[in-house]
Amino acid sequence: MTWIDFPLYSTLILITWVIGIVFLVVSYKKPSFIKFANILFLAGWTILIVFVIKLWLELDRPPMRTLGETRLWYSTFLPLIGFITYIRWKYKWFLAYSFGMASLFLVINYLNPETYSKTLMPALQSVWFVPHVLVYLFSYAVLAASSIVAIKGSYDSFKGNFKLETLKLADNLVYIGFAFLTLGLLFGALWAKEAWGHYWTWDPKEVWAFLTWMGYLIYIHYRHFHVHKTKQALTILALAFIVLLVCWFGVNYLPVADTSVHTYTEY
Amino acid sequence: MSDNSKIQRNLWESPWGYVESFFIGIGLMLTGFFLEVMTTGNATITLSYPMNIYVIVGYVLLLIVLYKWFTNTQLIRWLTKVPASISSIVLVTVLVMIMGIIPQVTSENSIINNLGLNHITSNWAFLLVLFQFLTCLGLITIKRLFQFKWSNFGFILNHLGLFLALTAGMLGTGDLQRLSLNTFEGKVSWVATNQSRQEVELPFAIHLNDFLIEEYAPKLALVDNVSGEVLHNNGKNLYLIEKGEQYIYNNYEVEVEEYFTSSGRIGDRFARVNDLGAPPSALISVKNTENDSIVNGWITCGSFAYQYQSLKINDELSMVMTIPEAKKFSSDIDILSKDGEKTTTTLEVNKPFKYKGWKLYQLSYDDKMGKWSNLSVIELVRDPWLPVIYAGIFMMIAGAFYMFWVGNKITKNEQNDLD
Repeated sequence: MTWIDFPLYSTLILITWVIGIVFLVVSYKKPSFIKFANILFLAGWTILIVFVIKLWLELDRPPMRTLGETRLWYSTFLPLIGFITYIRWKYKWFLAYSFGMASLFLVINYLNPETYSKTLMPALQSVWFVPHVLVYLFSYAVLAASSIVAIKGSYDSFKGNFKLETLKLADNLVYIGFAFLTLGLLFGALWAKEAWGHYWTWDPKEVWAFLTWMGYLIYIHYRHFHVHKTKQALTILALAFIVLLVCWFGVNYLPVADTSVHTYTEY
Repeated sequence: MSDNSKIQRNLWESPWGYVESFFIGIGLMLTGFFLEVMTTGNATITLSYPMNIYVIVGYVLLLIVLYKWFTNTQLIRWLTKVPASISSIVLVTVLVMIMGIIPQVTSENSIINNLGLNHITSNWAFLLVLFQFLTCLGLITIKRLFQFKWSNFGFILNHLGLFLALTAGMLGTGDLQRLSLNTFEGKVSWVATNQSRQEVELPFAIHLNDFLIEEYAPKLALVDNVSGEVLHNNGKNLYLIEKGEQYIYNNYEVEVEEYFTSSGRIGDRFARVNDLGAPPSALISVKNTENDSIVNGWITCGSFAYQYQSLKINDELSMVMTIPEAKKFSSDIDILSKDGEKTTTTLEVNKPFKYKGWKLYQLSYDDKMGKWSNLSVIELVRDPWLPVIYAGIFMMIAGAFYMFWVGNKITKNEQNDLD
C-alpha cells in the first residue's frame, strides 16, 4: 500500500525542494547557484512522479478520487508550471513560489492520513474520469499561480514600483487556466450525460464550478476593456480565486453539501 | 492609474456606464423578486415543441433586427457595450452564488420561501437577469458575425457556443423527457414514471434477462462499542478483506484466517454456501500487541436474510465487516419494439444505450437486496435538443483550445476601444 510509503517519499522530496529554494534565494547574490537549485527541484519532482505512478499501479484505479489525491496532483502540476514559466519568462520568484506551494501541499497530505481505499464507485469508472480531473487540477494550479502573481502585483503597487509586465504574466496564466477550466467543465458535462443522463443538474459542485468560471470570465472581460485599471483587475483576480477555493475545498462544508453527487471522500 | 480622465457627466447621460448598467440590472433583479413575492407557487412556464422553436427563432430574429436597424438607440448601444455585459455577468454570478449557498429544497425560512431563493433556476429574478445576459451575449455575437474577421474566430466560437448551449438548454427543457422504468428479472415492462410521478407508456417494452452485480470485497473496521463509530485514521482507512492478509489497527494485529464470499452459519462456524442472501464471512484473529492476548472468531456483514455478526475484542472495541460496495452493476435486456423487433444489449453505469431517439441508462437496483436484487431501475432520456447543445459545447471546447493556443496576444489592444 503505497500511501504508507508516503512519509518516506514526501520527506525526500521536501528535503530536495527546501534546499533547492535556499539555493534559489542564494542565486540572487551568486547567479551560478540557480543550476544547483534546478537540479534539486528536478530530482524531487522525479521522485514525486515515481510515487504517483506507483500509487496509480498499486490502487488499480486512477488516484483522483479523494481530496488528498487531488492535492497530490496539484503538487505534481505546480512544479511543471513553475518550470515552464521560468524557461519562458525567467521569473525566479515564481519558480520559488511554485515549489514552495507544492511543498506545502505535500505537508498537508503528510499531516492528513490518506485513504488507502481501492474501491471506486461505478459512476466514476469512466474514460472521462482522468481527463476531467487532470484538466481541472492543472487549471487550478495555473490559476493559483496567477493569483500569486496578483499578490506580487498588489505588493509592488503598494511599494510604488508596479510594472504592467506583472499583470501581463497574470493575464497569460489566466488565459491558460481559463481554457483548461472551460475544458474541465465541459468534459464534466459530457461525462454527466453518459453517467447520469443529464449534462447539467445544478449540483452544488457544478454550481461552484460555474461560479469559478464566471469569476475568471469577469476578470478576462474587465482586463480586455480596461487595460489600465490595474488595481480593480487585481481585486477581481483575488476574488475569483476565493471562489475557486470554495469550489475545491469549501463546498463540502457548505449547507448545500448534502445534496451533492461530488462527495466521494467519506471513506 | 486612472486612465479615464474623469469627465463630469450626469447619470443617464449617454453613453451609459457601469452605474447605469448596475442600476438596470439590479432593477431587473428586484422586479423579479417582487414578482416572486406576488405570484405564489411555482409559476414556471416550460415551453415545449413547437412553441420553443418559435420563441428561439423569434428571439434570434429580433436580436438581428435590433442590431441591424436599431443600433443607434440608447438601449441597443448600451446592450452591445462592456458595462452591460460585465454587470449582467456579475448579477448572474450573484444569483447563482445564492443557489450555491442556500440548499435548493423546501425551506421553513419565510424569507427564503417568499423570495424563492430555494428555487433559483425558476426564480423570476434569475430569469430576468439571465435574459439580459443572453441578450447582451446574442447581440455581440451577431455583431461579430456580421463584421466577420478571421481574428474574431475564437471570439465567435466561445460566444456563439455559449449562446447556443444556454438557449437550447433552457428552451429545450420542455421537450426533455426523463423516465424511470422498474424492470424485474424474467418480466417485460413498458410503463415508466416521469419526474412528476405520472405513468407513461413507452413505445417499446423491455425484458430484463438478468441483473448482475460485481462487488468489491467487504472491508474490515475497528469500531467503538458504545458510539458505534469507526475508529482508526478517522474512519478513512478500511482494508479490503483478503484471506491470509494481516492488517494493523492501532495496537491490534488482525489476521484473516479464512474468507468466504458467500457463506452460511453451520453451528458455531461458517461454511461456503450459495443460497439466496448468503453473506460473506471471515474468520479473524486479533492480537493485542500491548499484552499479546488473542481473540478470534467469525464475523459477517449479514444480508437481508442473515444477521450481521461482529467480534468483540473487549468491552470498548469490536471488529466488524462492512457491507461490500458495488464495483459494477449491469442489466442484460431485450428491447422489444411494437413491430416485434428484438434488440439485445447490456446496460451498465457510464455505458448507456441509444435506441430510437432514446438513451437508456442503468440507474439503480434494490439496494436492500444488494446483489440478490431482481429489480433493475432503468432510466430513459429523450432530449431532441441535444445536438444543438452539443454543437454549442463543442464550439466552446474548440474555443478553449484556441484560447490556450493564442493566449491573450490578440487582446493587447491598448487603444481601449469599447467594443
